[in-house]
Amino acid sequence: MSTEQNFYRRHERAILGTVMVLLFLLGWEGLARGWWADALRPLLGESAERLQLKPIFISSPTLVGTAAFRMFFVTGEIWRDIAWSSFGYGLGLALAIAIGIPLGLAAGWYRRFAYAIDPILSALNATPQVAFLPLIVVWVGTGLSARVLIIVLLAVLPIAINARAAVRTTDPRLIRVASSFGAGDWRLFLTIILPSAVPFLLAALRLAIGRGMIGVVVGEVYGSAAGIGAMINQAGSRFQTDKVFVGVLTIVAVGMILVEIVQRIERRVEVWRPQVQM
Amino acid sequence: MTVPIDLEQDAPQARASPAESGRTHERLMIGGGTLLATLLLWETLARSGLVDPLFISSPTRVAQAGWGLLQDGDFWNDLSISGTEFLFGYGLAVAIAIPLGLAIGLSRRLQYMLSPFIDTLNAVPRVTLLPLIIIWAGIGIWSKVVVVFLGAVIPILINTQSGVKACEARFIRVARSFSASRLRLFVSIILPGTVPFVFTGLKYGAGRALLGVVVGELYASTAGIGHMIAAAGNTFQTDVVFFGVLIFMVAGLITVALLDRLEQRFERWRPDVH
Repeated sequence: MSTEQNFYRRHERAILGTVMVLLFLLGWEGLARGWWADALRPLLGESAERLQLKPIFISSPTLVGTAAFRMFFVTGEIWRDIAWSSFGYGLGLALAIAIGIPLGLAAGWYRRFAYAIDPILSALNATPQVAFLPLIVVWVGTGLSARVLIIVLLAVLPIAINARAAVRTTDPRLIRVASSFGAGDWRLFLTIILPSAVPFLLAALRLAIGRGMIGVVVGEVYGSAAGIGAMINQAGSRFQTDKVFVGVLTIVAVGMILVEIVQRIERRVEVWRPQVQM
Repeated sequence: MTVPIDLEQDAPQARASPAESGRTHERLMIGGGTLLATLLLWETLARSGLVDPLFISSPTRVAQAGWGLLQDGDFWNDLSISGTEFLFGYGLAVAIAIPLGLAIGLSRRLQYMLSPFIDTLNAVPRVTLLPLIIIWAGIGIWSKVVVVFLGAVIPILINTQSGVKACEARFIRVARSFSASRLRLFVSIILPGTVPFVFTGLKYGAGRALLGVVVGELYASTAGIGHMIAAAGNTFQTDVVFFGVLIFMVAGLITVALLDRLEQRFERWRPDVH
């Protein structure tokens, strides 16, 4: 008895979580298959019908599972969408990093430069950047460049803002010490500012990963030929709810994997970073 | 002896303040100057014909289009629809997320039960759920209310919850040893402690909510500022698009400013504990 209790206590988190997820999936499956309607018909009579929902509306865990299996391993159709979206996503994220980090570091280091671009940065940051999508489409059409641009626009702000904050929060004592030992700007930047900025930049990258995902989906709203976002949109307009769920879950999975990778790197950097005690 | 020391301490502050105000002036001048220069460059690019105004419009055209729209009843209808979507969705998110976040923060079991769902939803960009939401709620305002709600509810929930978790254990122990009741503990220690976290969540959630309005309306809608932008983009009315983007920008800035103001008020009410 007591060992069982100990087992529960040690794994309470996993047990409670799993039970709730299973209950949720069971409830969902039951709604789609009409289990609950059948079970409650003697009690509620005709109104029990409302507990059965058409799979077209809510799909069901088994339908989603079979659709996922079909799309990944039988027809393999989703791989093309994944490859298509990943290309734009990777390009957009890379550009956002290439623009955002230097911009943010410069704004953190040069006060006057910060004064110049702060109003623009904070205005852009307060705007939902996807509102620029129709403009982007007017400028570059609906092709790859539009998708990349919207991803850049979404992902660049958190990166720039965090990079700026990183420089600002560098311990001024370290900078003073280094410059009184005659370190030049470049040396200072490489040995003090950049290392202390790394955690901020990685945190920014995690934010940017999520923001970029929004860009993937939204950027493909305007008639993209392929891609996860386009697949979700088409499946949605054809009421193929199971395919929509597969697409959404794929995005979730990719996002979680990317964030996990960044977190691993963060942990490693945390170890490598010299601990400076004051 | 104490008087000269006081003077010594006052002096640097007195000297610092003109320097500070000089910096504020510099900041305003450089910031404003850059903004003006950008607008001027934009205008000259469009006027000189280097870039077709069809693509980039120009500040004067945007202003004209805006003035025209302000006299147009359709525009006010769009604005009120977008506003309704935002307020309903965001309001609902606040009303649910704060109490639920507090409850999850207080009860370990509840956290274990709900965290799989919250973590998954947090990992989904909620706008990807739009096709589903539209199947469920149609293309009217309710699909937008749902996506705004989903966008805003998660950051508020997570921040409120971590606010409770971050509560100083020392304060709780002290209050306990002075035999404070659970309710007392909650009202006088946990609740004030969460305020900064809640506001972080509220600000983040407001951004997500606005994003929901825009994406929802770009995606499928019959009215709203996002719809206006999309329709104008399709007909190459770049000036109207810019004006619409400006509206969203102003809405974002106003929301953040309002929340900042509200937060300051709460800060003042919050006892300063060190």
